[in-house]
Amino acid sequence: MTLAVAARIARRELRGGLRGFYVFLACLALGVAAIAAVGSVRQSIEGGLKREGAVLLGGDAEMSLTYRYAEPDERAWMEDVATRVSEIVDFRSMVVVERDGVTERGLTQVKGVDGAYPLYGTVELDPPMPLDTALAGDGAVMERVLADRLGLRPGDRFRLGTADYTLSAVLLREPDGAGDGFGLGPRLILRTAALEGSGLLAPGTLYETKYRLALPVGSDMAALETRADARFADKGMRWRDARNGAPGMTRFVDRMGSFLVLVGLAGLAVGGVGVSAAVRAYLDGKTEVIAILKTLGAEGRTILLAYLMQIGTLAGLGIVLGLALGALAPMVAAPFIQAQLPVPVQVSLHPGPLAEAALYGVLTALLFTLWPLARTEEVRAAALFRDASGQVRAWPRPVYMGVTVALAAALIWIAAWFSGVPQLALWAAFGIVAALGLLALAAVGLRRLARRLARARAVRGRTALRLALGAVGGPGGETVSVVLSLGLGLSILAAIGQIDANLRSAIQQELPERAPSYFVVDIQPDQLDGFLARLTGDPGVSKVETAPMLRGVITRINDRPAKEVAGDHWVIRGDRGVTYAATPPEGTIVNAGAWWPADYDGPPVMSFADEEAGEIGLKLGDAVTVNILGRDITATVTSFREVDFSTAGIGFVVTMNPAALMGAPHTHIATVYAEPEAEAAILRDLAEAYPNITAIRVRDAVDRVAEVLSSLAAAIAYGASATLVTGVIVLIGAAAAGERTRVFESAVLKTVGAVRGQVLAYFALRSAMLGAAAGTVAIVAGGVAGWAVMEFVMMGGYEFEPVSALAIVLGGAAATLLAGLAFAWRPLAARPARVLRARE
Amino acid sequence: MADSILSLADVTLTLAGNAGPVEILHGITLDVHRGETLGLVGPSGSGKSSLLMLMGGLERATSGRVTALGHDLTAMNEDQLARFRRQHMGVVFQSFHLIPTMTALENVATPLELAGHRDAFDRAAEELRAVGLGPRMDHYPSQMSGGEQQRVALARAAAPRPHVLLADEPTGNLDGANGAAIMDLLFGLRDRHGATLVLVTHAPDLAARCDRVVRLADGRIASDELRRAAE
Ligand SMILES: Nc1ncnc2c1ncn2[C@@H]1O[C@H](COP(=O)(O)OP(=O)(O)OP(=O)(O)O)[C@@H](O)[C@H]1O
Ligand SMILES: [Mg+2]
Repeated sequence: MTLAVAARIARRELRGGLRGFYVFLACLALGVAAIAAVGSVRQSIEGGLKREGAVLLGGDAEMSLTYRYAEPDERAWMEDVATRVSEIVDFRSMVVVERDGVTERGLTQVKGVDGAYPLYGTVELDPPMPLDTALAGDGAVMERVLADRLGLRPGDRFRLGTADYTLSAVLLREPDGAGDGFGLGPRLILRTAALEGSGLLAPGTLYETKYRLALPVGSDMAALETRADARFADKGMRWRDARNGAPGMTRFVDRMGSFLVLVGLAGLAVGGVGVSAAVRAYLDGKTEVIAILKTLGAEGRTILLAYLMQIGTLAGLGIVLGLALGALAPMVAAPFIQAQLPVPVQVSLHPGPLAEAALYGVLTALLFTLWPLARTEEVRAAALFRDASGQVRAWPRPVYMGVTVALAAALIWIAAWFSGVPQLALWAAFGIVAALGLLALAAVGLRRLARRLARARAVRGRTALRLALGAVGGPGGETVSVVLSLGLGLSILAAIGQIDANLRSAIQQELPERAPSYFVVDIQPDQLDGFLARLTGDPGVSKVETAPMLRGVITRINDRPAKEVAGDHWVIRGDRGVTYAATPPEGTIVNAGAWWPADYDGPPVMSFADEEAGEIGLKLGDAVTVNILGRDITATVTSFREVDFSTAGIGFVVTMNPAALMGAPHTHIATVYAEPEAEAAILRDLAEAYPNITAIRVRDAVDRVAEVLSSLAAAIAYGASATLVTGVIVLIGAAAAGERTRVFESAVLKTVGAVRGQVLAYFALRSAMLGAAAGTVAIVAGGVAGWAVMEFVMMGGYEFEPVSALAIVLGGAAATLLAGLAFAWRPLAARPARVLRARE
Repeated sequence: MADSILSLADVTLTLAGNAGPVEILHGITLDVHRGETLGLVGPSGSGKSSLLMLMGGLERATSGRVTALGHDLTAMNEDQLARFRRQHMGVVFQSFHLIPTMTALENVATPLELAGHRDAFDRAAEELRAVGLGPRMDHYPSQMSGGEQQRVALARAAAPRPHVLLADEPTGNLDGANGAAIMDLLFGLRDRHGATLVLVTHAPDLAARCDRVVRLADGRIASDELRRAAE
């Protein structure tokens, strides 16, 4: 009965069409679309990663070693479990091209392969040819960026170390490229056998070997991993398998995906504010209708139901529009997405993300429309006899507050569950709630202040100012709702702006003041003196630091497996650089314990980086076992020292006494601080004298990191722009929502003698006050949120970016003001009777 | 008769209704004299409110001329009209139209402030006391009864001492005692300050106190009778 009546009322109201609901629809649709699109793309990429796991890894499983090849017994174990084994050696080097007396050099990441490579997938070359043909004899292939930089074309010759090679083709795609992780230089592939005589891979040189295993179908990866760990973990062997073929890539997509979903949710929250404002404005306009219906005997419940049905129908429409948009957008963008990724991506309809987005949409719509809807119950028939505004209580009945809390909890819980980053989602939700709380406080404070100021003698005579203060401090929910919606929108935009600006500045970051020009690796011990002699005489060189360099894996701490003691800390995850020194290197600060005597000759002792030691719970006197080249060296920790990893200088977690390590084959690394003008000559001389060494220009390395970061920043910018569009719509909507009131006020004010300039000044001042309150909170909230995301999610530093914050807040406030004035312009020009007659 | 303060010459008003344009006032010609109290009467929908709006420059005549204090209102733009009202005219609407975000005092003080009175608030308070709303000054419109709102609206129109006061049913919502107080206020305005009053009314006792009663029917002047002013 109630339902039927309500449905009839709803149907009659829907006859009004979509007028007044465009903002509502746009906000909901955009929010849902953004989430659906991000989810679909993420699903597509993850699908590709999973499907292609073995191809990306280069085998069903991979066992890797640092510094050495597998021993015959290790190799035998692999042959035993696998149907096929492929051996790869991976290291950095420099490609040298001599042409017309000019020498060009380029850093490269070399991959030496055997005949079995690749176990899965194919290497794509230009001109097209089988890899076997391309690598025959001294043939090699390299990525186009490197070939172009060096001016090489297929058929040209180049040098690597002391041997010459022929470029037979350009490398378009290596199937295991994404699995290899991050390389500082472009890829070059050749036969490992062809490296003989190049002088590279001498003992002590930094290189990594990878053994890819093709396993029988149905092999139990987990069991194999356990077996391999038990047998080889102490030997510095690391295991990976196709269950997660490209962990770096997976992590990246994961982090990016969840971050973008949160950006999407933030966008939906902004949209929700718009939805709420639109519904409130609509229902405010209906106060009279509602009061009349009540006079005629309609119950509050009937009316609530009627409007719930109407708004529900419209929300459904908005969500469907959003889903359609969200499903279509990735398909349209598919070629572009594919071009950005080394993984085959099949963008198609994924029901999962669409359902997730729809669920978010429904919950958001309910959450943000419930209060305005609940207020319809509060409208009393008496509203007809008095001015309707200010009649309705600010707080809905407790039952609706309960439902609101339940809805919010459900939304947060689902976001935490689906995003796969529950902590991040919870923090984001907490941030939004905190921002709303702060905004509510600001709004109430502003109202009180305005009310007090409006009575002050000082503002008497300044009509526009007094009117503005009176309006801000007066009854009616406008102050609170505008500050809340504008403020939340601006806060989220400001936060995204902060993150975006910080990422960008991280990318463009100037090198640290005292950064070295070159980072040189693989200097053989017998080359060190000559190397130093060349540099110390050079007036362009301000400083050279060198250190012996070995690589090792921390396997045990106090004779317990390191993983048990330190968990998943980065220090024990892979292999680390290890060095030795008789006396503390210049500038060393020992925080605890004491450095060993210069002539120390006892059992191995170790100085550990202080901060990292604290993180893994190391104490002075602990015994740490490091596996270097398959040999275990156990040393006692005798001191903790300060190590700064941020300045791009030399920093080692572990330093030991010379006697402990000197016997192992090793090389030296060096950092060279030089004037930019001297750099080219230094590189030329060093590379000519010592063809085996690799010099990495720090500037280039930073640029390479920047490339990776800029794709991240670009993705965030896309997410942010969706939020920005929603934000602008919300702001315009907010301005439009106030139009009715403003039209009326301007008519009355004109009647009592106000000219248009005064009315405009009043409107502008009021907007400015509301905008200032919302904007101030937004800058604070955006700053805090930006800091939290940069610090805890991106693991980067944060610096407040005032330009971005001010631009967003001022831009947002200006947009609201302009939109408000634009909406006020028409009624200002109209004769008052036209406006007032409609309100008779 | 000489000394006409408001003058309408062959004024018509056409509004756009749902079913095409509707002519609401047909060729009204009327002169209101300085110091006169004119009662506008007529059945509901006859165009009384519309005529009042035209006199206040709140509505644009479709044709004809409206002149007030020698100024042609039909030739003025919105700002000129606003300044003109600020100096010369007070309007009381049939449904009051107080600004809901302002207290009674602020509503009344606003036109005084716009007219540049330094003591706007003191005068506004005095005006509110005069209509018996001294204790209600800091109330918002939504906190007042219809009659109280009506008195605020009247105080707002009367406070700047306009030369012409246009009031649409000024006693419509009031009981006998309050209605009488309002009438006294209105006529006091005329007696003490020489204001001209144009009152739309259904109330016989109010109409009886007017110098002249114009009856509208169907957008035309049906009768225009001069009466002996009371006493
Ligand atoms: N916007 C409009 N469009 C078309 N017609 C209108 C419009 N507003 C009012 N009218 C018509 O104009 C006529 C005159 O209206 P007006 O308000 O002047 O009457 P009134 O004499 O003041 O009536 P009442 O005594 O009931 O207040 C009415 O018939 C009304 O229906
Ligand atoms: Mg009327």
